[in-house]
Amino acid sequence: MSNSVFSVISRFVEEYRSSTPNKLKVIDAYLLYILLTGVFQFLYCVLVGTFPFNSFLSGFIACVGSFILAVCLRIQINPQNKRDFLTVSPERAFADFLFAHTVLHLVVVNFVG
Amino acid sequence: MSSPGSSCLLVLSMVLETQALTPTHHLTTTDVARLQAVLSQPFTDLKSAYYSVVGLSKLGILVADETCQFIKSNLDPSSVESLFYAAEASQALSGCEIPVSNDTRDLLLATVSEDSTASQIHQSVSALSSLGLPLASQEVVSALKARISKEDNVLTIILALQTASRLSQQAELGDILEEIEDLAARLDDLSGVYLQFEEGLETTALFVSAAYALSDHVDMEPPLKEDQVIQLVNSIFSKKSWDSLSEAFSVASAAESLSNNRFHVPVIVSAQGPAAISHSQPFLRLQVTDVLCQPLSSASVLVESASTSSSKSAILSQAPFTLRDEVFELNFMASQPASGYYQFSVAIAGDSRFVANHVELKVKVSTRVAINNMDLSVVDKDQSTGPKTTRVEYPTKAKAPFMADSHQNFAMAFQLVDETTGVELTPHQTFVRLHNQKTGQEVVFVAEPDSKNLYKFELDTTERKTEFDSISGTYALYLMMGDATLENPILWNVADVVLKFLDEEAPSTIQAKTLYTPKPEIQHLFREPEKKPPTVVSNAFTALVLSPFLLLLILWVKLGANISNFTLSPSTFLFHIGHAAMLGLMYVYWTHLNMFQTMKYLAIIGSLTFLAGNRMLAQKAVKRYTFVASKQTSGAFSFRIIIHRWRRKFKYYSILFYENWIKNFSH
Repeated sequence: MSNSVFSVISRFVEEYRSSTPNKLKVIDAYLLYILLTGVFQFLYCVLVGTFPFNSFLSGFIACVGSFILAVCLRIQINPQNKRDFLTVSPERAFADFLFAHTVLHLVVVNFVG
Repeated sequence: MSSPGSSCLLVLSMVLETQALTPTHHLTTTDVARLQAVLSQPFTDLKSAYYSVVGLSKLGILVADETCQFIKSNLDPSSVESLFYAAEASQALSGCEIPVSNDTRDLLLATVSEDSTASQIHQSVSALSSLGLPLASQEVVSALKARISKEDNVLTIILALQTASRLSQQAELGDILEEIEDLAARLDDLSGVYLQFEEGLETTALFVSAAYALSDHVDMEPPLKEDQVIQLVNSIFSKKSWDSLSEAFSVASAAESLSNNRFHVPVIVSAQGPAAISHSQPFLRLQVTDVLCQPLSSASVLVESASTSSSKSAILSQAPFTLRDEVFELNFMASQPASGYYQFSVAIAGDSRFVANHVELKVKVSTRVAINNMDLSVVDKDQSTGPKTTRVEYPTKAKAPFMADSHQNFAMAFQLVDETTGVELTPHQTFVRLHNQKTGQEVVFVAEPDSKNLYKFELDTTERKTEFDSISGTYALYLMMGDATLENPILWNVADVVLKFLDEEAPSTIQAKTLYTPKPEIQHLFREPEKKPPTVVSNAFTALVLSPFLLLLILWVKLGANISNFTLSPSTFLFHIGHAAMLGLMYVYWTHLNMFQTMKYLAIIGSLTFLAGNRMLAQKAVKRYTFVASKQTSGAFSFRIIIHRWRRKFKYYSILFYENWIKNFSH
């Protein structure tokens, strides 16, 4: 059982390495970074306490929001999804990504206190 | 069949009785003396001499004859007013004659016309009448009527009434007489107690004297109801110190007219001293006077009914008062009433003119109390031995102290009776007080009567130990008794009681209950800040949270992310600078600014960044398309081809969109 799981995972990793374009890999690295940041914040909260609760919330929401926006960017940029996003060029996707991030940062900084 | 009728009649009579008004304000003898003193002040001019002399004559006091000289010397024969004052004052003095010349008479007669004011007409008519000169009454009446129709105010009409009372009885005074009723309608009723003109006390008093003067003159009863007369009495005599001589004069003349007129004489009934009767003071004394505090000797005073306040059963009925030294008295104790309060209904008869001659009085009958059969006993709780009873006589004290501890109860029983009649009494206050001489502590209990009016008091030491704070010792026992109808309140040290309490836990001295000493100060506790984790921990975690950034950079380098496609054009520079500025603005927002300022700066920087970024991305897009296009088509790229392709795409899509839209509407 574990053997099959392990083989599935290694096949997946191999396919990922070979078939994904570099641009998407760059974004995936960014996603991993965001994920780890969020996880470490949550870990602090669980271990030490929720003392400045608003700060924790804003940091966590920042990570979650950034993750979502980066995922949206990745979907829109992916050449394999071109048919679903005919009106959206990669540059447009990036511009949307930047604008949404501006709004997110405004809210997060307001809430962090 | 008969009982509803009789009860209805009873209710009706009670209602009628309660509706009769009695004066709430009247002049006492001191007030009359004060009025007299005000009027007796030395006068400076003819006007004040007039008020003093005539005012005092109305109070029945004669003035010295030297005043006549004063009047004659101050008289100004060319002034109607001066003649009026002199004439009226000389009339009040005995043997004072004012010399009258023809010019004076002509002057006075000429003033009687429609053109003079009502005051002038009044003064000239009064002067003519007092000086004994003839006058034409009909002319006066017509002049007065014309004056009233021109000036409709209250004072004018009052002066007209006064003037009319000096005219001959043959004149047609009917119209002027009707003015009394109109004026009475103008009086203001204040809460059913007072009736007065809004012009004030003086006007009301002048109205009363004028109305009764005219009514007496024509011998017709004035159209004032009894209640109205009493309300007028209340208004006029409620003020006991007078601002001016004219006000005092008006009150004196009103008082005189109310005591001496032919129709209404208000009766003032007041008890002499407190209305309280006892065996030492068996007579109820009443003073029955008119408004000038002159006793009405012709009156006969009768008690219509005297009943107790609670039971309403009549003790006396139709009992007359006897007159002695101008005071009416009645020996009420002869009817042997029980102590308490009685409601007396008194009627004053003797003259049909009397007004408010039914009076309700509350009379108190007090008595002396005697304590009988005071028995003190100590009873065992388990009732194993019989109670030891000691009888104590008032006012002696029991010789031996009584012992009571947790196994015994201390009991007290006594009877309270009226000293003379022997009837059992239940005073309002019967207290038993235990006083600890050593500690100064005192505890008070109430002794209650049982159904046979025998007072009982029981002290259970275990039950009552909280009141005593469980302090054992010798307590002096006092009996306190008092009531409004008792003449001899009692404070009697009956005995000493030694109380023993179990588990004495109280302190040795009792602190007096300190109610008014400063209380301990309350220190304000500020909200403690929440406990923060140690700095080491937070620093460690900060480093941990920032560490994935390093990982990101490493991964990016490994993946080969580069900025080789960086186009060197002003828009890229501007975009990147603007973007960096926005991120910097976020930091500044966190540290210094508020939302409004941030939005302002963000608008500026953001719009710049947007324009630059738009340009930059468009150029990037063009680059991408030309790259793709050049891959597909060999040959030089043309920017125009790109635009052409975009336009074609746009046209294609817009046509598609419109087709769809029309389709929706055609369905």
